[in-house]
Amino acid sequence: MSDENNSVNNEQTPASEESENVDNVGQDKKVDEAQPHETEEPDSTAKPATSSNNTAPSKTKIDVLLKPAGDAPIMKKKKWAVDRNKPVCWVSEFIKKYLKFTVSDSLFLYVNQSFSPSPDTEVGVLFDSFGSDGKLVLHYCKTQAWG
Amino acid sequence: MAEDREVLREIWEGRIPVCFTLAEEEVYSGEQPDPYYLLVPRQSYFPLVTDKVQRHFVQSVDPEKHGEMWLEYEGQPLKWHYPVGVLFDLFTNGNCLPWKITAHFQGFPEEELLHCPSKEAIESHFMSVVKEADALKHRGQLVNNMQKKDHKQLWTGLQNDKFDQFWSVNKKLMESSGEDMFKYIPYRIYQIDRPYIQKLFRPVTEEGDYNTLADLLKSVNGGESTDNREEVLKNRRVLIQGIEPPLETPVLWLSEHLSYPDNFLHICIVNKIKNES
Repeated sequence: MSDENNSVNNEQTPASEESENVDNVGQDKKVDEAQPHETEEPDSTAKPATSSNNTAPSKTKIDVLLKPAGDAPIMKKKKWAVDRNKPVCWVSEFIKKYLKFTVSDSLFLYVNQSFSPSPDTEVGVLFDSFGSDGKLVLHYCKTQAWG
Repeated sequence: MAEDREVLREIWEGRIPVCFTLAEEEVYSGEQPDPYYLLVPRQSYFPLVTDKVQRHFVQSVDPEKHGEMWLEYEGQPLKWHYPVGVLFDLFTNGNCLPWKITAHFQGFPEEELLHCPSKEAIESHFMSVVKEADALKHRGQLVNNMQKKDHKQLWTGLQNDKFDQFWSVNKKLMESSGEDMFKYIPYRIYQIDRPYIQKLFRPVTEEGDYNTLADLLKSVNGGESTDNREEVLKNRRVLIQGIEPPLETPVLWLSEHLSYPDNFLHICIVNKIKNES
């Protein structure tokens, strides 16, 4: 699957603007992880709900790191900038498209390798409670992995 | 753990009288069926208690068109994955009994509601929230160290409305002494037309004082500017389990006693006067 991410690059990405500075196709994965992509383009449409929160950065996109579990295929590009108010089901749909899942394939997402957030949970909410090192780690798999 | 068993039992026994009617425009054969009355536990989820409602109405709808039953109150679709008591506190302002809910079999609002394909889906949602709560309280250690049968007992206790069965396991998750002191309080704050708020909040300050409900409300920004927060709260009610707890109540106590079975403290902020908004 090494060259699959070329095709998803321009259509349907979680943050098409951001993808330019994180998604340098063909480069080593490690490069992705170090990119400070939050510096670009503050999104003026976002709600002010997080603006006075001192514990979390008051940005409108968060870094989501997607890791496979079990027999799930690896995504070549793992780290994505996602709008805070996007629901978890949006992330699942994105992964399914990226990995070219068929309609019948299921996908499960886990936080902390422990619980599976409700599909309508906003990723920003998860980040506020379970983010670490400035990013939210989500594990994905094709069968139920935990609990 | 929680000490006051009487409080726990009172909370557990909270019931809401509900009057279900079938959406008029969906009546297919014959006359509008009679409404269906049910006393619904606050702690439960609608799909756990509405099988009979579904059977009562399904014969009156178009067999060609009907899909999964969903519920609505005054135009507001009701999310099955929120506890019944949360939906009631948030949308009714607590002042209309019986609660008049409309049942639908058509036009499922895909954007607003999740499907509920089976009882297993409710169980897996419930257990996930319990795990999330324990991740906040005890880094997930207590729930992960439990046996599968303990998880099952939590669920069947809720499903069958058995207080003792549920609490004999849940008391372990509510352990908050010594090393098991809650690290963070699992809470969600709901307001109409907004996503809920959930952030990290410690039960005790660095100085060792208990954080109160007022402290919790201060710590979150509900989209209002900080300056007029007190003014805003003057016109609002803060409801947990249908109760307005004094704002000086320690959040730890609330978490131990007024949490829903999913181990979260669900807090609704609603307007004082119903027509104000």
